[in-house]
Order: sequence, then C-alpha cells, then structure tokens
Amino acid sequence: MLVTPSPLSASKRMQIEEIEAAVRDRIGSAGLVSRVDGGVALSIALLDPMALPAISKFLFWESACSFGGMIMEQLRDNSRLSYLFLSPGSGWIDVVLEVPSTSPTVPSISAEVHAADWHEREAEDLFGVRFEGHPRLGDFILHDQVWSEGVAPHRKPQSHSTDADRHSLQHRPNADWRPLLVVQDPGAFAMPVGPVYEGGLGQSVHFLLESVGEDVVRAVPRLFYNFRAVEKIAEGLPVSRALLLAERFAATSSFAHSLAFCLAVERMSGIEIPARAKNLRILLSELERLRHHAGAITAICESTALSVAASQAAIIEERLLRSSCQFTGHRYLFGLNTPGGVRRDFTAKACAELLKVMDRVVSELRTLEQGLYLTSSFLDRLEDVGIVEPNQARDLNFVGPVGRASGQAGDLRRDCPYTGYETCEFQVPHEIEGDGYARLRVLFQEAYESAKLIHHAAKRLEPGAISAPCDPPAHGVALGWAEAPIGAALHWLRLDDSGLVERYRIITASFNNWLGFRVAVEDFAFQDFPIILATFGLSATECDR
Amino acid sequence: MNTWIGGALVLFFAFCGCGLVLSAVMPGRYPMRVLVVFSAICSALMMIAAGMALASDRTFSAALWRLDALGPLSIRLDMLSAIFLFAAGLVYLPASVFVKNFAESRHQRKYPLSRYGVMHFALMASVVLILTAGDAPLFLISWECMSILCYLLVNYERRRNGDGRAAYIMLAMSEAGFLAVVVAFAIAARMSPDWSFQSLAAATARLSGGAIWGIFVLGFFGFGVKAGLVPVNFWLPRCYTAAPPVFIPVLAGVTLNLGFYGILRLNADIAFPHGVGPGLLALFVGSITALVGILYATTENDMKTMLAHSSIENAGIIVAGIGASLVFRASGYGLAAAIALAAALYHMVNHSVYKTLLFQGAGEIEAATGTRDMDSLGGLARLLPALSVVFLVGCLSIAAIPPFNGFVSEWLTLQSLLRSASLVSPAVKILFAICGAALALTAALAVTCFVKVYAMSFLGIRRGDWKPRAPKRIKRPHFALIYLASACFLLGILPTYVIPVLNRAVGPLAGASATASLVPSFFTATPQNQQLPAAFLHDFHNIGAQVGGAILPGRGMVVLVRGAERNPVIFAMSTFYGFIALAIFGFVTWFIVTRLTRGRRMVRNELWAGGIPRLLPEMSYTATGFSNPVRVVFQAIFRPDIVEDTRQTVAVHFRTAILRRREQTHLVDRLFFHLIGDAITWFATFLARMHHGRLNAYVGYSLVFFVVILFLFRVT
Amino acid sequence: MSFWFWRGLKKGVHSTKYPRNPELAAGVTPGRPVATEFRSVEEAALAAEVCPVGAITAEGKSANVDLRLCIHCQRCHFGGAHPAEWQMDYEWATVPGGKTKYERLPRPYGRSLHMIVVDAGDCGACLHEVKQLNNPFYNMHRLGIFFTATPRTADVLLVVGPVTENMRVPLLKTYEAMPGPKRVLAVGACAVFGGIFGESFVSAGGVGSILPVDLEIPGDPPPPLAILHGLLVVTGRKAPVDHDSISNRSA
Repeated sequence: MLVTPSPLSASKRMQIEEIEAAVRDRIGSAGLVSRVDGGVALSIALLDPMALPAISKFLFWESACSFGGMIMEQLRDNSRLSYLFLSPGSGWIDVVLEVPSTSPTVPSISAEVHAADWHEREAEDLFGVRFEGHPRLGDFILHDQVWSEGVAPHRKPQSHSTDADRHSLQHRPNADWRPLLVVQDPGAFAMPVGPVYEGGLGQSVHFLLESVGEDVVRAVPRLFYNFRAVEKIAEGLPVSRALLLAERFAATSSFAHSLAFCLAVERMSGIEIPARAKNLRILLSELERLRHHAGAITAICESTALSVAASQAAIIEERLLRSSCQFTGHRYLFGLNTPGGVRRDFTAKACAELLKVMDRVVSELRTLEQGLYLTSSFLDRLEDVGIVEPNQARDLNFVGPVGRASGQAGDLRRDCPYTGYETCEFQVPHEIEGDGYARLRVLFQEAYESAKLIHHAAKRLEPGAISAPCDPPAHGVALGWAEAPIGAALHWLRLDDSGLVERYRIITASFNNWLGFRVAVEDFAFQDFPIILATFGLSATECDR
Repeated sequence: MNTWIGGALVLFFAFCGCGLVLSAVMPGRYPMRVLVVFSAICSALMMIAAGMALASDRTFSAALWRLDALGPLSIRLDMLSAIFLFAAGLVYLPASVFVKNFAESRHQRKYPLSRYGVMHFALMASVVLILTAGDAPLFLISWECMSILCYLLVNYERRRNGDGRAAYIMLAMSEAGFLAVVVAFAIAARMSPDWSFQSLAAATARLSGGAIWGIFVLGFFGFGVKAGLVPVNFWLPRCYTAAPPVFIPVLAGVTLNLGFYGILRLNADIAFPHGVGPGLLALFVGSITALVGILYATTENDMKTMLAHSSIENAGIIVAGIGASLVFRASGYGLAAAIALAAALYHMVNHSVYKTLLFQGAGEIEAATGTRDMDSLGGLARLLPALSVVFLVGCLSIAAIPPFNGFVSEWLTLQSLLRSASLVSPAVKILFAICGAALALTAALAVTCFVKVYAMSFLGIRRGDWKPRAPKRIKRPHFALIYLASACFLLGILPTYVIPVLNRAVGPLAGASATASLVPSFFTATPQNQQLPAAFLHDFHNIGAQVGGAILPGRGMVVLVRGAERNPVIFAMSTFYGFIALAIFGFVTWFIVTRLTRGRRMVRNELWAGGIPRLLPEMSYTATGFSNPVRVVFQAIFRPDIVEDTRQTVAVHFRTAILRRREQTHLVDRLFFHLIGDAITWFATFLARMHHGRLNAYVGYSLVFFVVILFLFRVT
Repeated sequence: MSFWFWRGLKKGVHSTKYPRNPELAAGVTPGRPVATEFRSVEEAALAAEVCPVGAITAEGKSANVDLRLCIHCQRCHFGGAHPAEWQMDYEWATVPGGKTKYERLPRPYGRSLHMIVVDAGDCGACLHEVKQLNNPFYNMHRLGIFFTATPRTADVLLVVGPVTENMRVPLLKTYEAMPGPKRVLAVGACAVFGGIFGESFVSAGGVGSILPVDLEIPGDPPPPLAILHGLLVVTGRKAPVDHDSISNRSA
C-alpha cells in the first residue's frame, strides 16, 4: 500500500489518536494499529479473527463511528476482509482481517453491528466465506429459486469470459423453494408485491408483506433482481473502461459515483486536481443532487395522489434535466468525470444561464413547498407515518437524507471533505422525528443548499485547466468516496501490476438503507406502504449493482 | 276439515310412536332407514296438518285428558301455531333425509343410531305438543321434555366433541328460563278458573300494569333463553359448536323458533301489554342482540360457531320486529303492528330455511375436508361444485340479497321500523331510530360476514393441509340441500302468496290485517277496485303495475302504503319482477357475448402474481385478514388481550417468529355469565360457612328449623 | 386545498407539440453521433478508437456510427482530438436487424395503448426517462398511452435493462401473461445489446435473447421523445426509422 501524506488537520488527528490508543489497549498483541493513507486514516490489522466482534462493537457503539461497509478481496493466498468505520471528526478507520482462502471462516459481527448483516450475506453468497454466528446466510443476492447454493461466482479462479465457464455456473432452479415467513399468528398471510410492480418505484423489488389484515407486521425486501455483477465485470478492465461501469450502474447518481471512482484513482496516483476542476465538480454534483431531490419530491407527491403538486414538481425536474443536457450534453451527466478532473469546460455565459435557471427552480420549489405544507390531506399521509426512531437510525446505520431526517446528521461533504468542499460553507439540514414529513423537509432544505452551493461554485470559477494528467499506477489501492444524493457512496479500487482493475468494490447508500427500510414499514397500515417507499427514495438498482 | 286435521295429528303421533319403538328395537342398519323414512313421513304430516289448518282459517281444538290438579289438557291449533308447525315441518323434512349423510358406519359402532332415533322421535313429538298445546300444563310439560331431550341430543357425541359442559350450560339456562316461564304463567293464572290459554287470555285483561310487566319480563327472558337473546344466550354459541352434525339442523331450525313461539303466545297473545314499555324493551333487546350476534359472527373463523352467532343475530331481528309490533299495537296503530309482526313471522320462516341449509352445508364441508376453520379452507368450489352453488344460495339469502327470501323479510322489518314516524312520543321515536340504525348496521355487517364465509371457503386456493375425503359422494348434490335452496328462492320471489297466509296469524295478534296494505289487491286482480280512487290506480298503470297480468302468476309486488286517502305514498319492491328482469338481462348478455366472441380462442394462463415463481397458499388472503378491519373498528366491544411473543436468534435484528396471541371473552360472558357465575360462587361460599363440620351446630340448625315450622303451623 | 386547482391553471400548459410539430427546445435530447467525414484516414481511425464499445468504425476517411451500440459516453463528442459530428434528433426507434417490416397493432390501439414496464436490470436512467413520459412536458395521456400495473391489460411490454438472471423468469411470466396482440419494445442500449454489462453469467445481453423484440430504441438513455416516438411507431402513427440509418449510416 502506498503511503502518501494527506492534509489532515491537527485537531482531527487528536481524535484519531484517542481511538488509536483505546484500540491498542483493547487488542493488545492481537493486531497492529497504524496510521496510513490511501483515504484511510487508521488501519487496524487483526491477527486473531476472534477479536473482530469486540473491536467492531467498540468502534460502532462506544466510539460513535458509523459503519461504512465491508470489502472482501481474494488475494493470492489469503482472503482479505476490510471493515470500514467512519469516525465523524477523524476519518476512515479500517479493520483488516486476513483468512486463508481455502476455508475462509470469519466470526460474524452482525449481532453487535446490525448494519453489517447484509455485507456479510453478500460476501457469503458471492465468495463463499462462512460467517460464524450469522443465522441467516444464503438466498441473498443469488436467489434460491434460480441459483443453487454454493455457486460463489466471484470466487477466483472463476472466470466468466468463455461460454463453457458460464455454462458451468448454470444453476438448478429449486421448485420447492418457500420464503421464510416469520409471523405465526393464526390467519396471518404474506401479501406478495413485485418484482414487476408499477406503483411509483417501478424498479424490480419483491416484498412479502406479512400481516394479519390491517397493519404490516413484517416487511423484508427481497432485492438483487437487478444484480449485474458490476464488481466482477470490472475485473481485468482498464481504468477508463471501469469508469464507464461506475457511471452506469446507478445512473440517477451517475456523477457522484463516477466522482468517487475518479477520486480513488487520483488518490492512488497522488496527483493534485486543478481548482477549476474542483469547483466544476462541486457545481455538477450539486446539480445532480438538486435534480435527484426534485425527482424524489415528485415521487412523494405522486404516491399520495396529489396530482397537481406532482405535476409541478415534475416540471421542475424536467427543467433541471433539460438544463443538464443543455449545459453538459447529457441529461444524466454521463461522460463528464475523468481521473484527473472533468472532460468538458463551460463558458461564463453558460454558467450565467445555468444560474438563472437555478434561481427560477428555487423559487418554484419554494412555492411548491409552501403549498404542500398548507395541504392537510397531504401532510396527514406523511406525518407520523413511516417513523424511524433516532436510535433505530443509529442502530441500522441509515445514511443520506433518510438518516438525516432521523437525527443522523452525518454528511461526507462535511465529515471527510473532498473535491474542495472543505472551503464551502453550507448547512446539512437534519430533523429528529424520522417520519415522512421530516424526510420531505430534509429534501427541500438540501435542495436549497445545493442551489446555494451551485452559486458559490460558479462564482469561484477561476480560469485554469480542467484536468490534470493522471496515470493509474501499478498496484495502486485507494478508497474514494462521495456524498451521492441518496447518501454516502464508497468506491474501493485495487489495480494489478499492469494497471488493470484487480478488485473493484462499491458500497452504496441504498444498500445500507434498504437493510433498515423495514423498520419504517412495520406496524403501519398496508395503505401507507407505497407512501413510505416513496419518502425513502431508495434505488434498487443502486443497491443491486 | 276439522276431522282431517285431527286425523293428520293422530297419524303423526302414531308414526312418531312407531318410529320410536322401531328404532329402539331393530338391529343393524335398520334404525337409520326407520329414522329417515318415518321421520320424513312425520314431517310431511306436520306440514299437512298445518297446511290444512291454515287453509281452513279456523282454529282446531280437541280435548285430551282431564287431570284433577292441572285441569283439562287440550290440543289447540290456531293460526299462529299452524305457521310455526308448518315451519317446523318444512325444516324437519330435509333434516330427516340428511341423517343418511352423517350416519357413517364408523360412527354406528360408537354412537348407535337407535339411541339417536328414540330421542329424535321423542323430540319431534314434544315439539308438536308444544306448538299445539291449548293449555299451560301440557305446554310446560312438553317444554321441559324438549329441554331435556335437547340436552341429551347435544351430548350425543360427547366423547368425540370433548366434555359435556356446553350442553350442561344449556340445560342449566333452560331450567332457569323454564322457572321464569312457570312463574309468569302462574301470575297470569291468578285470576283464571283453569289453565287453558283461552281462560288465561280472558283473565289477564283484568290484571294490573305491574303484573303485566312482571309477566312480560319473566316470559320474555324466560323464552328468550331458547330464542337466543342477549343477556341469556351465552349457551348458544357453545352448544351449537358442540352439537353433532346430525342434530344441529334441528337445533338451529326448529328449537330456536320455539322461543319465538313462546314469546308470541305468552306476551302477544295471552298477556299482551297495554303500554309501550314492554314492546320497547323487546325492540331494544332485539337490536342489541342482532348487533352483538353479527359482530361476533363476522370475526369468527370456525364455521359452526359463526353460524351460531348469526342465529343470534337473526333472532334479534325477529324479536325487534315483535317488539315494534307490540309498541304499535299499544299506541293504537294496528296496521303498523300487523306489518311489523308479519315481517317478524316471515323472517322466522326464512331463517329456519336458510339456517338449516347453511348448517347442513357446513356439515358437508366438514365431512369433505375434516376441518371447520375458514382460515384453512379455500378452493372448495372445484372440489364440491354442487355444494358451492347451493351454499351460495344460502349465503345470499342470509345476507338479504334479492331475489332471495332474506331480502324480503329484512326489507319489511326495516320498513316497518320506519313507520315510527307516525308515533307521538319523541322518546319512543328516538329509540326506534337508534334501533333502526343498529339493525341497518347489522344488515351491512351480515353481508360482510357471509361474503367472507363464501369467498374464503369456496373461492381462492386451498390454504390448509387438509386432504379431501369421500370423493364419491361429493359430486352429487343432495336432495335436502336442493330442496332448501329452492325454498329460499321461492319464498323470495313469491312473497305475495306468503304474506296472506302469515296474515291469518297476524290478524288476531295485531288487531288489523296486513294483507291489504302489503299486497294490495289491485296488483293481483283487475283494476276495478273500490278501495282506492281511480286516478291513483291509473297512475299505477302508467308505471306498468299491470304488466304481465295475464301471463305471470303471482306478480310479486310488495307494497307499503302510507296513510292518506287522496295521495297514498307507496314504497314498492318486487322481487319477482326483479328476478324476471335479472333473468332477461342475464340471458341477453350471455347471448350477445357468446355471439360477439364466437370464434375467439380462449387461452388459460396461470395466475398473475407479480412475476413470482409460484403463488403459495400463504400468500392468499385469509378469513382473519378479511374480517380484521371489523375487529379493529369495534375493539371497544371485543376488548382483546394481546400477548406478544417474538422470538429471535442471535440478536433482536434476526427475528425467527412473531406471534401476537389474542385472547378475548365474549361480551355477554363478560357482562352476564361470569357475573352470574361469580355471584353464585360467592353465594355458595357464603352458604358454605354453614358446613363447618361441628355436630352441635347441625343439631342447632335442626332445632331452629323445627321451631320455625311449629311457629308457622301454629299461626295458620 | 382548492388553491391547487388555481395553481394548476396558472402554471399553464407545457405539453410539447410533438408529434404534430418537431420539438426544438434545448435539452430534450442528448443527440447522437452520426457518420462523419474526416480529413484523413488516420484521423478517422483515431476517431473510431475513442469509442469504448466499438460503435464507430472507420471506413477509409469516413467514420460510420452504429447507434445501436452507442452508450452515450460522449467521448466522441468532446474532450478528444477528433470529435465526431453530432445530430440533435430523437427519432431512433427501429426494427431489429433481420426483420424487414414492422407489423403495427390494429387501428383501435392507435388511440388507446396500454403498456407495462419491466425493469430487468436497468441502471435507472432508462426507467427514469420512461417515467418522464407522464410529466406535463411530454404528457403521453394526450396521445392515449397509459401505464398499467398488470400485464393482463397491457398491449406493449416495454423492457429496460439487459435482463439479469434473477429477472428472467419474471420477465417471461409477464410476457406470457399478456393477451395478444402484443408487442415488445426494447428501450435503451442495455436492452438492445446488453450495454456496458454485456453478456455474462448474470446478464443475458439484451432482451432479444429472451423474447421476440418488435422494436428497439437505442441510446443510453434514449430521451423521452425517443421513447414516445417508439410508442407512436408501435401504434402505427409514425413509421420506424430505417435500420440502415441507425446502424452504419453511410455518407
């Protein structure tokens, strides 16, 4: 791993030192603690796997870190698991564990850190790692109806380039598969919703809403209908090609994901991005966020069948899409990021036009917001419905606007700033109630903050280069992150000796939030389900990759 | 005519006696044939006797023995008795024939039918004696025999159905009710020379208001035990659930009506109240009964228990009609009283028919699947196609859907409650309005309940693990069920023939005739009618009242005429015309659709369920889910205790089972049964203080008692 | 609450005049690369090299474009030394190669078309563009086009995404549950040929390998007007674009 000094301020280092000391005390000789870089502030290499649950519990609960994700890699002899925690003033903390590849067995941390549940299930499904103590492995990404157990397609040396290899991965569908139903009341039934489901979301998600008639008692989603194995396809590709994958696996947050990817490449190359490129990146990120939030507001109004408001929000969103296309050439901002900067420059006139559109959009949003807050029938469907309590949000590690509506005020732009956000002044709006109304308020406030940031970035555009030359180094490894509209997005990249992608790991906000979505739906009526779904604004395809 | 009626009755008792003896004596499978044949003949004779009595429109009476202490015993078949007798015969016929279905050989060994046969014929005889008794002693003796026989019959399969507690509660309540009835008769007989009903009726005219109230309350709640009214009906759901399938059609279709007969005989005929109070009490109790009954029926998943609660609901409707009739009569509105009473009697007949049908259908379902739980049924329409049609007729009838019979009687009952507008006192009108609203709510909930019953049992996919049994018998529809379904249908589309018959009983009780206003003659005869002005009749011609006069037999227009001479207001409904229109539209639609889609290929595809690989039974709607909104809305009445039990593994995050058990006690149990039970226990405990075991104290008791007796004898 | 009614009226009508008149507003379409003449063979070869999916092929001094393969990465649009020419049109619906004629739906469907949208692994952009058809700018209801929730009442199956393995069975069931006459519309580069995800152990590489596709709309994503054009072609109110003009247009 390359070690490059990064400009962490002294105050931040203090907190890292506290954590470092505490961790050293706890693990003693069972691991090594060191401060490194590549995006990560503190790395804890555990020699004894059994120390993992205790360390995770300490970091998550006692040090108030949030759980970023788990990265599973298969190196030559060992499998390397890396658990990322984010300490809010300090940066990323990486707990690394290496187990032999032949029979990888790792203690599960899901009992203490519930947010790790799905990460472990994914690693088991795709790599065949056994997590001891996890009660519910299997039938996660590779649905048991379609795939038989033990396929582990990401495990090396599986390759998928020839038809013969693909055929060897053929599955024997299980005709007797039955879902796991938990509610045992007499007369309980499980209403199936999806995967072909038109209501609002449109994406392929399957729910079995278990109920006894009025309230939903248990609602656990079944995702990964859109699983395209992006992480596996990226292996062996050059960085420029992998960038296309990063842009396209979740296109409504395409700029944020491609930005995170480029930041990872730039971090491993160690180059400095020109100021104009940073400002343009801020401007385009916020443009994407504004457009995404307008879309989320449209979806909320549609779910409550307030047609006129939905139409007005849709007008705002379409205006933003057209402005994006006019300004950058693509409605969803494809093809703009490149390692080293951005690929397209913008004239002052174009920026001025864009700012005019922004002002108009903001005033329309304000009118819409005031109108919505005066409509009691609309608010009735949102207030006190789909409540996520602050302690539940903390427990299940909600990120993004959903988390901020339940008191989790984390935002990567402020907690670990990137691409020049450290010099911007902006608020991170958050609420405490955690109901649909709070999420709506957060969306509106964030939209206004984005507009302010666009103005700020446009004003500070100095003439200069828009990109610096960037050569991805051999054996480079780095973590890149960005605050996507739905929440924190992490891209972890490791290159092999010819500079091609060896391991590409994507951890998205939707993956985190879908895990906890059920607490908002359970114990509310059936009819509220589509509305709660709309207020969360989650993307199944971003989760599925 | 009298001799024919008498002859029919004598033949009836003869056949009953023969049947009783033969089923006791004959071996092997003979008792079942005896049971079926003789019982069918007896029920036919019941109907013949009643029919002849109704046709002749005269009271038949015959004196039996004369007992020194109790006075002359006599048989008296007046119009009221005839109607009830006819209804009883109507139900006994399919009940007898249906015995064949339930007398499987496996049961013969454990529960020999000979014993059942004996009790069956004895019960039949006692029922007829109750209905035709002309004096109180015969009535009361037969009533007591009937109670005991019911108890024995409910316990007929006791070893299969668990302990005999349910029947024991029924017996205890029956005895308590009987005691109340005896006291009521005693009060009525205070000023009467002998115990015959005629003398009693004459004597009560001289009684004071308080005595009449006393007779009313005792008689109403005493007979209300059998009729299933709210404070005293907590035996009914338990008993109906525990009763064997052979007996339950009789229990639900015949013995329930005896309660109504008792109420009408004692409180409307012999000792009819002069004030509106008793009638209002009856109306109020009836409405509450109806509402409570249907609430519990809608949220119940066991089919037999659900039908039991539904019986309570219908009993409430009937008694509400009776109460309204008493109020109208006491206020001097004879016509309104007649209409209300006609509605109540019609509902009684209808209820007997469709309740028997539903119980027999439920019995067939249980025989075919082995379960009564509606949550686990489903998909029976494919398994039992004939039964599904017949059961659907029963469900439509009880949910009061035209053109079946339940609709006519419920519509008439609600209409008669609307007549309260003509009453004077505002308090009475308010009570009528409240009770009318309760009955309307009941009607709506009844639709919910029976939609749930039919849809969850017959439609959809099979939800439980049961295996179909007895496949051979399933495909053929049973004669008894078809007979009952046809009766439902005919009673529904031909009310114009039924109402004049009912009117014969209604007339003397209400003091006015309902026929003229319910079935005006200008619909059944030519328009030259003197009663109503020609212009009015002409208006009716304009809306086509005379259509089909030459072709269609009894064009059923059931009309309610309100008061005024010049411009009478009419609320009209014709189930017959409705049925004709439905048939025509149905045929035309079918014709057009088949012509238009001729040559098109119909492709059958699997059920669309959102793209999931297979729709599993646990994904389909259950009966509990369907009725859950009712459970939630009326939570204040149900007051359930919810015990949550969530099991997890490893951490709270991974739940393996979620179970919320509901425990609830019935409203009547909570408010009355448990209270009475607690009171009796308290009293018994109090008395138990006497039993402390000290011999000296016992000797002391005897001394005290002796002294008291001496004192009393000295005084007298 | 009634103020929404007045607000709606005040906002006015935003519907596009398409299909009666072409839509000329800026930003309605990203446009597409078209065949370009370069000054030399080397420039054409360099221009063709830029495309990561091989949609641009050099033939002498001209570079031909196969729009079916275009993923709108814009590398041939800006940022490179030899950009191709771009055309801001949006009528891209074409019959898949091999078929010569498109059989339109019978006349009644022209004014009342119901479609069901199946997301078979889509990235979100194509689905989002499809949903924009319902917004006041495109307003597909005025053309008699509707979304349905169940395939039983659908005439058109609109598929986005490369058809992942987990969605294969639901997609097939949806198609089988639709009564005839029915048409299948593959929208977006992923649905047409698998897009950037291609054919893999979880991806079928386009709808064509699972279902018979009647019309294809290339683009990543195709703008709402392109999808609208495709739907109008389905009903026969517009003609499909000639296959050669989409794929390998020659100068």
